[in-house]
Amino acid sequence: MIKLSGITKVFAGSNGNFTALNNVELQLGKGEFVAIVGKSGSGKSTLLNILTGIDHPDTGTAIINGTSLHTLDESSLAKWRGANIGIVFQFFQLIPTLSILENILLAMSFVNVIPKPKRLLRAQSLLAQLGIEQHADKLPAALSGGEQQRAAIARALANDPPLLVADEPTGNLDSKNANAIHALFQQLAKDGKTVIVVTHEDVSSSGYEQVITLLDGAIANDERTVA
Amino acid sequence: MNPRLKKSINDLAGNPGRTLLVVFALIVGLWGVGSMLVSYFILKNDLNENFSRTSPFHVALSSKDFARLDLASFRQRPEIESAEFRDLSFQRIEVFPDQWLPMWLFGLDDFKKFNLAHIYPEEGADTPPRGAMLLERNGKLVSNLKTGAIARVRVAGKLRHIPIAGINFDPAQAPATQDAFIYAYADKKTYTEITGEAANQRLIFRLKNADNKQQVQSAANKIIEDMRSHGIRIDNINIPTPNQHPHQFQLNTLLAFQGSIGLLAFLMGAVLVSQLIAAILAQQSRQIGVLKAIGGTQAQILSLYLFMVLILGALASVIAIPLAVFSGFGFAGFVAKVLNFNILTQTLPISIYLGLIVCGLLLPVLFALPTLLKGTRISVLSALSDYGINQAVSSSSNKASARLHLPYGIQLALKNVMRRKKRLATTVATITLGVAIFSSGFNVRQSLLVFLDDTKNAMKYDVQLVLKDQLSSEKILAPFHDLANVQRIETWNGGRGRLQSSAVSSNNGIGVVALPYNTDLVTMDVVQGRWLQPSKDIEIVMNQRAAEGFGEPVKTGKQYQLNFNGKQVLATLVGIVKEFDVAKIYIDKAQYDKISNPDHLVNSLMFIAKDRSYQQIVKLKQQIEKAISQSKLNIFYVMSQAERAKIIYDHLNIILTLFTLLSSLVLLISTLGMAAATGTNILERSREIGVMRAIGATPKIIYGLFVTEGAIVSIAGIVAGLVLSLPLSIYASKFFGELILGHGIPLQFAFSQHGFAITLAITLVFGWLASRIPARKAISISNKEALSYE
Repeated sequence: MIKLSGITKVFAGSNGNFTALNNVELQLGKGEFVAIVGKSGSGKSTLLNILTGIDHPDTGTAIINGTSLHTLDESSLAKWRGANIGIVFQFFQLIPTLSILENILLAMSFVNVIPKPKRLLRAQSLLAQLGIEQHADKLPAALSGGEQQRAAIARALANDPPLLVADEPTGNLDSKNANAIHALFQQLAKDGKTVIVVTHEDVSSSGYEQVITLLDGAIANDERTVA
Repeated sequence: MNPRLKKSINDLAGNPGRTLLVVFALIVGLWGVGSMLVSYFILKNDLNENFSRTSPFHVALSSKDFARLDLASFRQRPEIESAEFRDLSFQRIEVFPDQWLPMWLFGLDDFKKFNLAHIYPEEGADTPPRGAMLLERNGKLVSNLKTGAIARVRVAGKLRHIPIAGINFDPAQAPATQDAFIYAYADKKTYTEITGEAANQRLIFRLKNADNKQQVQSAANKIIEDMRSHGIRIDNINIPTPNQHPHQFQLNTLLAFQGSIGLLAFLMGAVLVSQLIAAILAQQSRQIGVLKAIGGTQAQILSLYLFMVLILGALASVIAIPLAVFSGFGFAGFVAKVLNFNILTQTLPISIYLGLIVCGLLLPVLFALPTLLKGTRISVLSALSDYGINQAVSSSSNKASARLHLPYGIQLALKNVMRRKKRLATTVATITLGVAIFSSGFNVRQSLLVFLDDTKNAMKYDVQLVLKDQLSSEKILAPFHDLANVQRIETWNGGRGRLQSSAVSSNNGIGVVALPYNTDLVTMDVVQGRWLQPSKDIEIVMNQRAAEGFGEPVKTGKQYQLNFNGKQVLATLVGIVKEFDVAKIYIDKAQYDKISNPDHLVNSLMFIAKDRSYQQIVKLKQQIEKAISQSKLNIFYVMSQAERAKIIYDHLNIILTLFTLLSSLVLLISTLGMAAATGTNILERSREIGVMRAIGATPKIIYGLFVTEGAIVSIAGIVAGLVLSLPLSIYASKFFGELILGHGIPLQFAFSQHGFAITLAITLVFGWLASRIPARKAISISNKEALSYE
């Protein structure tokens, strides 16, 4: 599903170069539930950006779901991303002027993999699956943080991507909502989606199958916690 | 509804203040450009159409021998399209008690059927009954004359009472309001009864296939030669510029000005739309990143914003297009009233509406496209990590502002304005352009006023009296011996002469002014050569109109053939003077007398008053009129310098008014541009505002910072604009001088102190408003909102 080979990313700064990722090798399979952890500056976000095609490595290749990301231009990458990866952001990043339902429909309309007549039903069903169907017509600002994050997950699932990537998805939530979101991700992984969560929180009790620890741009530890 | 369209609509509805600002800016721009387009179309077409529909004559010949001409045969000549006798006599008419104006009285055969030089009945009788006359409608604006009134007309020193039977419209004449003439029309018998002159002494005709003056002159020469060979002596030839209204120059100036301002408004509108779209994109940068992250391609996101611009354009068009059509017609109507013609355009052609719709819908899209392409090209990474403006201040500008030892607040504001150098440059350029045009408008206006003053001062007499006949000095001066408040009276002569060029063998009659070469009453602006001096040779000075109408380039120092009252002489052109008047030649009176006035007759009196205050001059003119009424003098006109100045001012006033109006429009657009740029800065720095507040900055400090930044940008734009206005004013003076005066004569550059003060005051106030409104918005953002800036 995911194959990263020799990924190196260096950022030029005013105080010299900063190596965010150094020769990272990573392989993940379908339906895996993975946490990427590490301290601030360890390279978590850079790795996530490379996984999603948001950023490009200086050296190395990223092959996701059979596609070499470096072969795609920006437009193809956007289309590919919409169809293959669902991204969940820490601050939800819902479009504030659209209702929850419209946020999901917007993602579908960009990618066009879900046939038009089926979109509304699918969006409603996703909202129901995430327990926020009653908020379908509300604007994001009218929802709590937990509800907004569920809506963001629903949007990430809009085009039924095989890979779900979440960047600090519970960083802005209380523990109750955070646990509920983790449970949701676990279920999605069980349903066959590969779920990668980047976090700096304690992951010992979150049910991840694999925890990858980054340190100074390199994988310091790659541990399978659940068989 | 498609969620993408919904997003565009909701984005606009979600920020009504910003949407209104964009729509307002677009309305102003579109309204400005649209009004220009509409009025340009109407004016360009209608004055010419009014004029050409009359089938104006190409040539007017005067002769006392036309009894020998068989008009029916003349009409059969192959080059003649139409011909008739249309007599013309110059009399005087009382327009208000004791106020008299020259009256052009036309004698017509038939008021119902016109083959050329049509006039149109408007009120009262179509055909004046015997003994009565019709009045041209524009005359009503400069007199208390109306249908049914009995006009007091002075003919050859005698007072006559003539009923006004109706009002007509003669689109071919220069407007009475501007030229201070009254046009009147009577049948031939009445004409003869009123004037005492025989009818059928002035022949007007229109030629077939005559498009330019050369063709007309060439054909006229042939006809005149034929007439001469049949014993018909031509006293006067008048060949106006074919197919051109006498005041076409005013319209040309207006149209040129409209065109250039319209283009500038258009360009500034482009900058404005681009800035406002940049403001929207600045606020939605992270959203663009999110949209790309969830699968949106650049083209899809671009289409989303283009749709937004289309909505804005459509909203603006709905308001601006009817407004533009209304004001375009209104402005054209105003010009038509001033120039005395009718608006013939009832409906605009579909192409104009299409043009307006294209302007309203597509141009904002076109203007916004570069900004949108740039904004939507942003990578997901850059967009998602965008926390607003993050450009650091360069160390050089940091050091420079520190070296200035300015208060910290101003130093900070200076650093901030330098953070977006491109935007700063665009904003300053927009203000610069607005200020430069606004200020240039005042400077050109001042140049026109200086020209007006120069024209007034060129002739230093207070009242001018011109007779129709030449008389001896003693006779002509006799009625005015006892006038109070007269310091002295100078006597001049003049009449019509003819200049012979190699290009044409006959020429229009040209005004000849014979005056003492050393008179202290004339100080003309000599643009080439010199003024008259005592000389053995015959010397002449032309004004620029005479030089221009000569038919070939004239050179000072060269000799030209002149015909004064049938006497051919060679005269040396010694100078060209600048004058807002008809074509004239100036010659020393002693030399003129030697050539064609052996009896030293005169026909003009120049009165110089002792007390030259306006009231006393008015009184003097009344005394002169009274003296005339008790004499038998056959007066052509009496005019004070104040009236002469007013006539010139009225010619220029419409142009001056338009200068001010249109310059204000440009300034308004540039101010909106500045407001948009400041608004963008604030949106981009929302997070920064939040941080500043979090570390203790009060709303007052933040407000002060943004207003200071606005002031710095305004001042930079104002200073640059005022500097740019100097070359622009010089160029504009040259351009409009050429249009108004002709012969490549520029208006003298004049700096308008009032204009400078007004420009400074208005631009500072506008600049303050443009930064104050967004600054207030900045302090109204909540901390939470600011820190979570998307």
